[in-house]
Amino acid sequence: MLDRRVLAKAYFTHERLVKHQIDSFNRFLDEGLQKVIDEQKKIELDIPDTYVKLGKIWIGKPIVKEADGSKIELYPAIARLRNLTYAAPIYLECQVVDEGRELESEVVEIGMLPIMVKSKACNLVLNDVDPVSVGEDPLDPGGYFIINGSERALMTLEDLAPNKILLEKEERYGEEIEVAKCFSQRAGYRALVVVERGKSNILEVTFPQLPKPISFVTLMKALGVETDQEIVEMVSTNPEIMKFMLENIEVSEVETQEEAIDYIGRRVAPGQSKEYRIQRANQVLDQYFLPHLGIDPESRRAKAFYLARMAEAVFELALGMRMVDDKDHYANKRLKLAGDLMEEIFRVAFLRLTKDVKYQLERAKVRGRSLKMSTAVRSDVLTDRIMHPMATGNWVGGRTGVSQLIDRHNYISILSHLRRVISPLSRSQPHFEARDLHPTQWGRICPSETPEGPNCGLVKNLAQYAEVSVGTSEEEVIQTIFSLGVIPIREG
Amino acid sequence: MIPKRIGGIKFEVLSPQEIRRMSAAKIITPETYDDDGYPIESGLMDPKLGVIDPGLRCKTCGGKAGECPGHFGHIELAAPVIHVGYAKLIAKLLNATCKECGRILLKNEKRDEYIEKIENKKRLNQDYEDIIKEVFRVTKSVKVCPHCGAEQIEIKFEKPTSYYEGEHKLTPKDVRERLEKIPDEDLPAFGMDPKAVRPEWMVLTVLPVPPVTVRPSIILETGQRSEDDLTHKLVDIIRINQRFLDNKEGGAPQLILEDLWELLQYHVTTYLDNEVSGIPPARHRSGRPLKTLAQRLKGKEGRFRGSLSGKRVNFSARTVISPDPNISINEVGVPKIVAEELTVPFHVTEKNIEEARELVLRTEHPKANYIIRQDGRRIKVLDTNREELAEKLEPGMIIERQLMDGDIVLFNRQPSLHRMSIMAHYVRVLPYKTFRLNPAVCPPYNADFDGDEMNLHVPQSLEAQAEAKILMSVQEHILSPRFGGPIIGGIHDHISGLYLLTRGEKLFTRKEVMSIIKPLNVSELPKPKYVKDGVEYWTGKQIFSMILPKITIEFKAEICQGCDECKKENCEFDAYVIIKDGELVKGTIDEKAVGAFKGIVIDEIIRKYGKDRAKKFIDDMTQLAIRAIMYTGFSFGISDEDIPEEAVKQIHEVIAEAEKKVEKLIEAYKKGNLEPMPGRSLEETLEMKIMQVLGKARDQAGKIASRFLGMDNSAVIMAVSGARGSMLNLTQMAACIGQQSVRGERIKRGYSYTNRTLPHFKPGDLGAKARGFVKSSYKEGLSPVEYFFHAMGGREGLVDTAVRTSQSGYLQRRLINALQDLKVEYDGTVKEQTSGMLVQFRYGEDGVDPTKSFRGKAVDIKRIIKEVLSEES
Repeated sequence: MLDRRVLAKAYFTHERLVKHQIDSFNRFLDEGLQKVIDEQKKIELDIPDTYVKLGKIWIGKPIVKEADGSKIELYPAIARLRNLTYAAPIYLECQVVDEGRELESEVVEIGMLPIMVKSKACNLVLNDVDPVSVGEDPLDPGGYFIINGSERALMTLEDLAPNKILLEKEERYGEEIEVAKCFSQRAGYRALVVVERGKSNILEVTFPQLPKPISFVTLMKALGVETDQEIVEMVSTNPEIMKFMLENIEVSEVETQEEAIDYIGRRVAPGQSKEYRIQRANQVLDQYFLPHLGIDPESRRAKAFYLARMAEAVFELALGMRMVDDKDHYANKRLKLAGDLMEEIFRVAFLRLTKDVKYQLERAKVRGRSLKMSTAVRSDVLTDRIMHPMATGNWVGGRTGVSQLIDRHNYISILSHLRRVISPLSRSQPHFEARDLHPTQWGRICPSETPEGPNCGLVKNLAQYAEVSVGTSEEEVIQTIFSLGVIPIREG
Repeated sequence: MIPKRIGGIKFEVLSPQEIRRMSAAKIITPETYDDDGYPIESGLMDPKLGVIDPGLRCKTCGGKAGECPGHFGHIELAAPVIHVGYAKLIAKLLNATCKECGRILLKNEKRDEYIEKIENKKRLNQDYEDIIKEVFRVTKSVKVCPHCGAEQIEIKFEKPTSYYEGEHKLTPKDVRERLEKIPDEDLPAFGMDPKAVRPEWMVLTVLPVPPVTVRPSIILETGQRSEDDLTHKLVDIIRINQRFLDNKEGGAPQLILEDLWELLQYHVTTYLDNEVSGIPPARHRSGRPLKTLAQRLKGKEGRFRGSLSGKRVNFSARTVISPDPNISINEVGVPKIVAEELTVPFHVTEKNIEEARELVLRTEHPKANYIIRQDGRRIKVLDTNREELAEKLEPGMIIERQLMDGDIVLFNRQPSLHRMSIMAHYVRVLPYKTFRLNPAVCPPYNADFDGDEMNLHVPQSLEAQAEAKILMSVQEHILSPRFGGPIIGGIHDHISGLYLLTRGEKLFTRKEVMSIIKPLNVSELPKPKYVKDGVEYWTGKQIFSMILPKITIEFKAEICQGCDECKKENCEFDAYVIIKDGELVKGTIDEKAVGAFKGIVIDEIIRKYGKDRAKKFIDDMTQLAIRAIMYTGFSFGISDEDIPEEAVKQIHEVIAEAEKKVEKLIEAYKKGNLEPMPGRSLEETLEMKIMQVLGKARDQAGKIASRFLGMDNSAVIMAVSGARGSMLNLTQMAACIGQQSVRGERIKRGYSYTNRTLPHFKPGDLGAKARGFVKSSYKEGLSPVEYFFHAMGGREGLVDTAVRTSQSGYLQRRLINALQDLKVEYDGTVKEQTSGMLVQFRYGEDGVDPTKSFRGKAVDIKRIIKEVLSEES
């Protein structure tokens, strides 16, 4: 028989136990940073034909800027002792286009990024030094940051899976109704889309910016599915569901796409001019409705299909052909690791920076100075916005306790802390089901380690052998699927 | 002093006149102190508003700091501003009255009808909120004024303090003018008393300035003054007010004035409440939000819940508790360092002056800490002044004497859920740093020694001490009002010890008897039961009888097997206890006899010989039990769970059979042969039957295990005597853990998309193993799947305890608030204290004091009959 101790030994290297933290941060460095820049693409100014093109982003080595202006390579031990932040400069390639005239491309330092100890940007790894020679504990697992000398780990957050249709039953006015929910996520923005079977089988859809639910058929028409037949067939060909759909069609108040959009316009921008209403309705449809499928008018057809799937699911649930989804099933959960969290604050901080740069450049323009990025970027703007959440744990979106001072009581407590998984559910409510140990947590979450008291079952820890995959690029998956002969919806 | 009684409290809204009338000074400048550090006149720290600096005198009342309670001032606002607290009501009023004539948007008759209704409800002491709500609802929808015919436009209220009439924004001045127009006669329809509230008073024109004493400034170590948050806010208000005034006089453009007005509104709003939604909170320079008026009152740490209901006391101590079986149950061991800090007042009289002098002169433990002279001055007793003070001692002085043996103190452990959570104990000053208590008083406090801390309070007055001794001492609370039985009694080893001592006919020689009864005050040994070869032997039952007073009772012990027919005195398990005239004749002493919550013997003693005898019995009993258990020795280890090979085989057979039965049930269910039980679905029937089969299997396994463990096994002894643990615990350790459940059902959640609990099973598996039946024992160890299911079941328990503690705490709070004013009167009725409202004609509808009941029953007829009969014979 296999000597399992060999296996266990291989698993219990300290690198592996915090691998998820380091892998995630590395991915953020490799892809996340650039992704945020690419989302932005350029900084538009309020001056015609004047903007800043944003190019590549990369980071340097962790350094410390001394009072005399010199820059010295920094090691974690020094940062801890001198109450410094273990951070590396961020460089961004950018080019100002001044009223159509392309200026010389520049590389500017836009701020400092805290570096995870033992990640690929860490000096311990880059210089491949003997840890002891730089004052580092050779057994230290890394996987945390050093902010003003205090070691802070980013907690892994457990979240309901985005971009997934989840079926639920809800109680409303004493009646049980079927609801399909989908958290559509795109670039840090989350939009909850809800389809519910209301009174007498009429489907209603709710999504952000809409003050009240609108009927399913209206929305389908607004998305460009104009004929009744197409709408029904898009949902299902099951005769029972088609019957439900016909009831929906009957009560529909609109006929054409134009009418439907105007109807939505009246809802989202009441009392405004017609042009504005329509413009606003189109904007809401593209930006706030299922944004993960795209935020341009071309993706409306895909959205219509997706919406139809949600409607089908609702009816199938009502007819007992499906079961409600178990929200605590680990297939419906996603873990937000250090890299994802860093991406969140970096996005917000960078957005802030672009606003500042815009303001600085516009001022420079007014005063007739040359538009130079190196003078327009105030590096503290970005740095402060990153450091503050990391130092206090107050993340964007009002979540607290995201970064925590690591528990150095003993070696095991460090490892345990770095493998902690926190549920965003409120601890003041019972949430019995969410606190239960769910069988799907087998092999993923430790069945034994959870605190007693109000956080019981909400704060979890990864199982000993559990690893967290970082995910792959969607593009690749899509390409593979198409290469296997799938026809895209748009053409259908 | 003339005694006064508060007849009632009425809340009104301050009118501008009232504010000016009660004001001691008009505040004009935002300055506080001048360069010399003296308060500036007409400034925010005006000496007319009271003083906080020592040495200065209040210019209004002449009092010094500490004497003068402070006086209000006022600020004349340059323009009216909305009071946020009333903003919503103002909005409702604006919509309920005519914009032109100010009349209520109801015909007079209709209005009077509503007023009538409200008056009626008021008379009946009923809630009239609903009617007012209706008035507002009805008036809001009126489009044309029934009085002047003016068309009404709905006024939109925008949080926190803006009102829009269509697109047009109403200034606070407009609002005030409209409110002024509302006639007094219409106000009762909105539930307002025109004498108490004029609606226009809800728009401020004058702002009261709270006294300096309410917002004292503190002086930092650097000598700098740091002002209170309220003062900061008032400074802002005055500044803006002044600027507004200057601009208005200087004829500034309307736009600027409006901006300033808005700013003034913002400052006044945040001054009143800095957590209003819709506006950013005013911040301190450091970025900390200011704590303004509403913040002082609101919330857990606010004035109401934090200061007024939350009480803090002197003469108290708190530390960790630890057990001491050698002190009496009504004593508490107080560490010396605590005793040296806590004091009891000692009133010096002519008769005890010598004693007092001795106390003052002492340099060690029970000494005097302070002397309070007749004029109220407290003087600390020090080495340097000790003799001088002793000399000067005279009747009328009070000495604060250190706590010493024999003092009475109150002892408390939170949560204080019932009256036994605070009891009076006598002090025993002991070394070390923990409070010591007899383990027998753990049950009423619900205490254990895993780090629990308890509080101790020293009653100061003689009345309080007497009350504590008579009403609160431990022996007064041996009987619980919860169930009419003893709540103080033997626990854990006390029960095991007496069980070992009294079970069967254990024999002890004179020497052994002596060593066991050493701590007891027994002066005479009974006649030995046996004399063999010239050696005298006493039985354990005889030893126990030595501490019994003369009582006669019979009952079934905890170890009673519950035979179909009780053989009484011939019980083969020695489980039928017979005590005759204070002599244990038959039976074993266990939890039923002396345990907390159950102890029948304690119950009997307390009813026959009173509380003090019961206290003595418990003291003796615990001492005896501990000696007895030490005599035989008692231990428990993992090898005590060992069962022979044969037993394991039998257990496995039982379980295998049960599993087979389960399989058969499932098969029957799948084939549709299962007969549903009445009122249950087929699935429920199956679940119940499976649970039944598996439960039975575990019980059988437990029986087999206990048979092989025998009656001499320590764990079995503890379980049957009721000392600790149960047979179920034992079964789980030695035989089979059994079915794991979540919320009363077998485990059913899991990989729901493939309809199974874990991927180790086939989809749709309903078998015992796949649904959380653990056939291993703790001793054997669990398989991974079993371990996981066990963790699931265990998690539920953890969550339950965590959630329950918070919920029960809240329930307790609500109950206390609901019942706090109820009192049982001397005539046996229950009345509400303030209103005299009758709640029950007889307390509990039977008039029975549960403490004096027989475990809940008012009369124990059997007992009376027995008593009467025995007296006759």
